[in-house]
Amino acid sequence: MSNIATFFEVFVRGLGLGAIYSLVAMGFVLIYKVTGVLNFAQGQFALLGAYLVAILAPPALIFLELPAALAVVVTIVVGLLLGVVLERVIFRHFIGEPVLSVIIVTLALGGIITGGIQFFFGRDSRAYPATLQFDWSVPLLFGVDLNASFALGVALSLVVVLALMAFFRYTVMGSILRACSSDQQAAMVLGVSIERTIVLSWAISIAITSVGGILLAMSQGGTSFGIYGVGILIFAAVVFGGLDSIPGAFIGAIVVGLLQEVGDYYVAPVVGAGFGEVLPMLLLVVVILVMPYGLFGTERIERL
Amino acid sequence: MPCGEYFTSYEDRMGLVRWRIERIAFVLALPIPFLIPFVVSGGMLSTITRIYIMIIAVLGLHVILGYAGEIVLAQGAFMAIGAYTAVRVVTELGAGMIPAMILGGLLTAMVAVIFGLPSWRVKGFYIAISTLALQFIAEWFFEMGGRYEVIHGGTQQSMPREIGLIGDSLTIASRTEQYFLAFFVMAIFAILTLNLSRTGIARTFRGIHENDLSSAVLGIDVFRNKLLAYAIGGFMIGVSGALFAYYIGFVDPTHYTIDMTLEHYVMLLLGGIGRVWGVITGVSVISLLERGVRDFIAAYAADAAAIDAVFFGVVIIIVLAVEPKGLLAALGQIKDYFRKWPYAY
Repeated sequence: MSNIATFFEVFVRGLGLGAIYSLVAMGFVLIYKVTGVLNFAQGQFALLGAYLVAILAPPALIFLELPAALAVVVTIVVGLLLGVVLERVIFRHFIGEPVLSVIIVTLALGGIITGGIQFFFGRDSRAYPATLQFDWSVPLLFGVDLNASFALGVALSLVVVLALMAFFRYTVMGSILRACSSDQQAAMVLGVSIERTIVLSWAISIAITSVGGILLAMSQGGTSFGIYGVGILIFAAVVFGGLDSIPGAFIGAIVVGLLQEVGDYYVAPVVGAGFGEVLPMLLLVVVILVMPYGLFGTERIERL
Repeated sequence: MPCGEYFTSYEDRMGLVRWRIERIAFVLALPIPFLIPFVVSGGMLSTITRIYIMIIAVLGLHVILGYAGEIVLAQGAFMAIGAYTAVRVVTELGAGMIPAMILGGLLTAMVAVIFGLPSWRVKGFYIAISTLALQFIAEWFFEMGGRYEVIHGGTQQSMPREIGLIGDSLTIASRTEQYFLAFFVMAIFAILTLNLSRTGIARTFRGIHENDLSSAVLGIDVFRNKLLAYAIGGFMIGVSGALFAYYIGFVDPTHYTIDMTLEHYVMLLLGGIGRVWGVITGVSVISLLERGVRDFIAAYAADAAAIDAVFFGVVIIIVLAVEPKGLLAALGQIKDYFRKWPYAY
């Protein structure tokens, strides 16, 4: 009985963690789908979101004594703005450049963000204000509780995945984004402003990602520097689900969350602490070997 | 340099030293590396040694990325494997530095080939992601102290300062001797890479780089050649890792993080992909610049190491936006401008 209960607890925690990961993963897929940029700095964006809340929320800025909830809102707005600025300043120069350049630029961007945070705010973890640490939880079967931040994560990720799918399917803007992702030149000929769509997808993506980062930090009681590791974990998720599929990213992230918790609880005592984060990496390598286009990804057909 | 090509044979055309001015430059420049240890001070000598070691690693990356066109993001992991192997060979087998370097290189080449296996079906960024996974796994593996001590011999280990090249004979200890070791190994690998680019092997690699589908149609075994590139490049990076461990004096996982990968990419891209001289230029410029920037920042702020990543990031974005072909191509353009000056038409 208790065996089933612990398994259920591990399962629920993995589900919650996976839901939070799925927010970051969907942000990643959104960018890749529309702009073709493989963003290696996604984890750093999550880290940035998590740190911004910690920096804005306490009365660190004297003239801006923000209540905690407002800090979250401000962070999301900053995320949106950051998306616009990044597109304007950096990624516009790299439309049509080879894959290598884009990958290296995002890697460099990640380095800049982590280095900047480390330089200005240090590597120490920072506690979140008490108003952002909820003490409620959702009771489930076997006396297992779903932690508040995980519950929020599950709810938000479901909302986001449904909203994004509906957005792509039913709105005009969504179909414009789809048109851009399938053929940029043809869309341009038909009078679509590529710049605007790219700005839009970056802004939405970074906003979603920072929400994911904030929730991840909340589930740990405060932000820590290690959050950017999520950027590597979600690669396992998106490769598993297919690089350009939003529902695929969602499912992949849930699988990664579950694997991580199972690895931490059942396998780590055998092979060593921290194995939970390595298990998804092993899955990643296997998936790339066995079915490189994932569950829902579109297969690329090449010809001479 | 004459204003046309006056080669009369293929051997002349493909020669390493082709022009009279190059011959003169070669003869004049040859003594410089041998004189450096007697001219510059200790700190600078150590920086130059580090440059030589990094050149070897970036040359390895250059073979994989510049020749074969595979994006590998596991520089840190490859160097760590070479370093830990070298430490074990030196401290436990007592075999000396040269066997340590060779074994470190071979083991790294093996791991590189294993993680190159996905190139059987995928290419481009899928390879980038799978090697990033290797980086992640390797960092975890070396961080885990006790349990895997049988394999890697402990998370932190120190390398003896005084070391024999083979067994206990030919002992080297001082900074100057270290410098010469790094220089000779670097020179060997630079010439090897330079010559590699003139053989059929690298021509095959370049063909795969340009268009792997066409190369397959032309009868090239793409998968085997990609693995060969991984093996050659991995060997070089492993050797560099072994030398780096000896240079630092101990091994610690924090040296071999993703930041090292980023650093090597900055060096390679700044110099220009595809040419050995580009690698040498890029590594030297970045290392010297980094030394200057670090000194400059350390005077004003405490956490200068954090700024390194920011510095690399900014440099790489600017280079890629302004001159994606690198410093060497920019120099070539300047040279062309002056050759045609003042009538550039």
